[in-house]
Amino acid sequence: MLDELKANVRKTAVFTIGILVLVFCYLSYIQVVKSQALATNSLNKRAIQVAARIERGKIFDRNGQVLAFSERDSDGKYERHYPYGAMLAHVIGYSSTKYGITGIESSCNGDLAGMKNWGRYLGPIGNLWQPKTGNNVTLTIDATLEEIAYRALGNRRGAIVALNPKTGAVLAMVSKPGFNPENLERDWEQISSSPESKLLNRGVQGLYPPGSTLKVMIAESALAEKITDMKQTFTCEGAWKIGNDYELTEEHRHAHGKINLEEALAVSCNITFGKLTVDLGSKRLADSFSRYGFNRPVNMELEEVPVELPDFKHLSDGELAQTGIGQGGLLVTPLRMAMLAAAFANNGSIMKPYVVSKVTAPDGTIIEEFSGQEFLTPTSPALAKLVRQMMVAVVAEGTGSAAGIRGIKVAGKTGTAENPHGEPHAWFIGFAPADDAQIVVAVIIENAGAGGEEAAPVAGQIFAGALR
Amino acid sequence: MLKTYDELKLLVLAGLILLAGLGTVSLAAGSLDSMVFAIALALAVSYIVVHYILRWVGRSGDKLILPVAAVLTSIGLVVVFRLKPELFLMQALWVAFGLVAFILAAVAGRRVELWADYKYIWGAIGIILLLSAEIFGVEIGGNKNWLIIGPIHLQPAEFAKLFIVMFFAAYLSERRELLAHDTKKIGPLVVPHKRVMAPLLAIWGIAMIILVLEHDLGAALLFFGTALLMIYLASGRYSYLIWGGGLFLLGSVAVYVLYHHVRARIDSWLNPWADPSGASFQIVQSLFALGSGGVMGSGLGYGFPNLIPEVHTDFIFSAIGEELGLLGSGAVLLLYMILVYRVFKVALAAKTAFNILLAGGLAILLALQTVVIVGGVTKFMPLTGVALPLISYGGSSMVATFILLGLVFAVSEAGGSDA
Repeated sequence: MLDELKANVRKTAVFTIGILVLVFCYLSYIQVVKSQALATNSLNKRAIQVAARIERGKIFDRNGQVLAFSERDSDGKYERHYPYGAMLAHVIGYSSTKYGITGIESSCNGDLAGMKNWGRYLGPIGNLWQPKTGNNVTLTIDATLEEIAYRALGNRRGAIVALNPKTGAVLAMVSKPGFNPENLERDWEQISSSPESKLLNRGVQGLYPPGSTLKVMIAESALAEKITDMKQTFTCEGAWKIGNDYELTEEHRHAHGKINLEEALAVSCNITFGKLTVDLGSKRLADSFSRYGFNRPVNMELEEVPVELPDFKHLSDGELAQTGIGQGGLLVTPLRMAMLAAAFANNGSIMKPYVVSKVTAPDGTIIEEFSGQEFLTPTSPALAKLVRQMMVAVVAEGTGSAAGIRGIKVAGKTGTAENPHGEPHAWFIGFAPADDAQIVVAVIIENAGAGGEEAAPVAGQIFAGALR
Repeated sequence: MLKTYDELKLLVLAGLILLAGLGTVSLAAGSLDSMVFAIALALAVSYIVVHYILRWVGRSGDKLILPVAAVLTSIGLVVVFRLKPELFLMQALWVAFGLVAFILAAVAGRRVELWADYKYIWGAIGIILLLSAEIFGVEIGGNKNWLIIGPIHLQPAEFAKLFIVMFFAAYLSERRELLAHDTKKIGPLVVPHKRVMAPLLAIWGIAMIILVLEHDLGAALLFFGTALLMIYLASGRYSYLIWGGGLFLLGSVAVYVLYHHVRARIDSWLNPWADPSGASFQIVQSLFALGSGGVMGSGLGYGFPNLIPEVHTDFIFSAIGEELGLLGSGAVLLLYMILVYRVFKVALAAKTAFNILLAGGLAILLALQTVVIVGGVTKFMPLTGVALPLISYGGSSMVATFILLGLVFAVSEAGGSDA
């Protein structure tokens, strides 16, 4: 009698424990197979909570000035502060739980958030080594110079990039109009929807025709390919008809007459450089752009956008001439023009631009340190010196005189770039002191007019500030 | 063969788990409270005291039930302390009451086979307890199953389950001949006699009342599931399961159509991602916790289980999954399996039909309760608020579960055999 009952008990036991086993399998499925997807689901607040639990690292300038720090608010939650406000907004970026992270806050997030910690591979045991504070990051930026550059640009739209040509260290990077990261969440609508692209870091993401600043590269290429030399005389009649359909002109068809290469650069003669570019031909012109690295990414942490080069295979002579004077389909970033000038400032070598110089633990021990690295060597020291001398003449007696400062030899080149958005963009690229350059700058002011009148004086203020 | 000495060793281990767990939580939080450790030490010692009392009262009861229960309560105390430190003292008190209740049940039930004679008293108490919540009950957290007497908040349903299992064990042990043989056939389906069908319909009615009036899908499922499986246990006939399952499904569909509250629960189970911040907030938060825990877990004190509402009661299993990972949640589930297995083992060793049905019924109750809540928080089945036995914060469930285990211990003693 009882045996029958016990048989039922056995079957029921198998059935109920079987259900528990099924639940166990489903639990394993959730915690193993679905684990990653659930942990990283955007509605799961844990990632934000983890980040909020540790104090995000500080960001310093090269002299130890605090550029970004975190502080507990009245609720005990960490809040990010940016003492320099809009001045460094594009370089440092922002760290917002709502709108994400950009700039250095993004490229150094692993260090700043304290996530670059070997303990995290140990599961719960790793908590023993979990830091309370993220690592600090020191930038190559000079906050004082940044402020000078920021003020020099005034209320105009544009960008300034200043590098140390010997190392590639970015000393200043200004982009206007900007935004104040302190009020990012409050003003997000207004910042993000502005037609002036306030979030765009024009120094590395603004694409502009380089105008006549490109002529330094054409001059170097023409000399390197022995198409011309320093003695050859060119004749400028104010206009030059190329083929049947295109005419290259000087401003107001003003004829420069008989001039050599140095004089042509100093007065920024379009006809001379148009002719040199046509003589170079599209193949050698394309080679020049790649020699100077225009088509090669340089440093991920800078978040730069690629330069737009013309389709060299299908260029007519007229289009070639236009490209040679920095017009046509060519669009570059201010950073790339600063790097071009840096090649002549640094005896023919371009150093890789970088912004982060050092990562330190909260207790001060250095975790990583960065120094100058060569990017490319597009030209020889001798040719670099020749171009440098010509660029000195541009500032000493040519279009760039407004960039000159008392007692220091400045080298540079102006540009006035025609564009479809209105008045031409004012450009200046250059460096100082010319024979032992400490700083190279690229200045662009959107729709401001002549480079020599608008951009060159801004560069002069920066040289004066940096070499004071 | 487990020796008495093994029970003692395992209980010492349960005490060490409690102390080590509290130490880990304290270290992670950065503060040590000597009060907490004094209480924990007292509980660890009382596990051992219970062991000696049991062995003094009788010598042959099951030697795994108390240690497994002690490990589960220790894990529960640690997790409650982690989630709501202010509730630790109360939970420790409930565990102490539970241990006393365990001894009382174990001692009182030494001649448990005689209780079969009072089956209608048990049945009546069960119904009264259930209805008392209905009549005098207060709604807390969406479920109207609380009884408030002065400072004490009781969930009478937790105790009602035990009495109803006792009633069924007695009722079915008397009528199991009838159940198994007095049947008619309509086509392939066996139709039970109306004398058998009547209690089946009655229990179905009660389950539906609970569902409709108290909004308690979990309790309804537990009552009905336990009753149905016990009828199978007594009769060995699958047709009862088919009839009962059909009835329950029919009732559930009707309730689903008629009652918004039940419909919302089912819908958020079928597709929690349709409204993850509203109707499905709880289940989605629970899944986030389990997923974030992964295999290893975040470590005690390093997760964010407090993002889940009601985490210390209904969702405590998700908190274990988050901070201790699958290693922890899986271990807890395995402990329940061992416990359920042991209780069935006691049923198999029992010597009277009533004792077999009682232990078997209690095993089913324990298993189903675990399935309903663990299955609920993992989205294995629709979520219903039921306590995780011995772990969830709360006195009624804690004491009731210890009484359940005490009765099983008594049956194992009366069974006289050992595994």
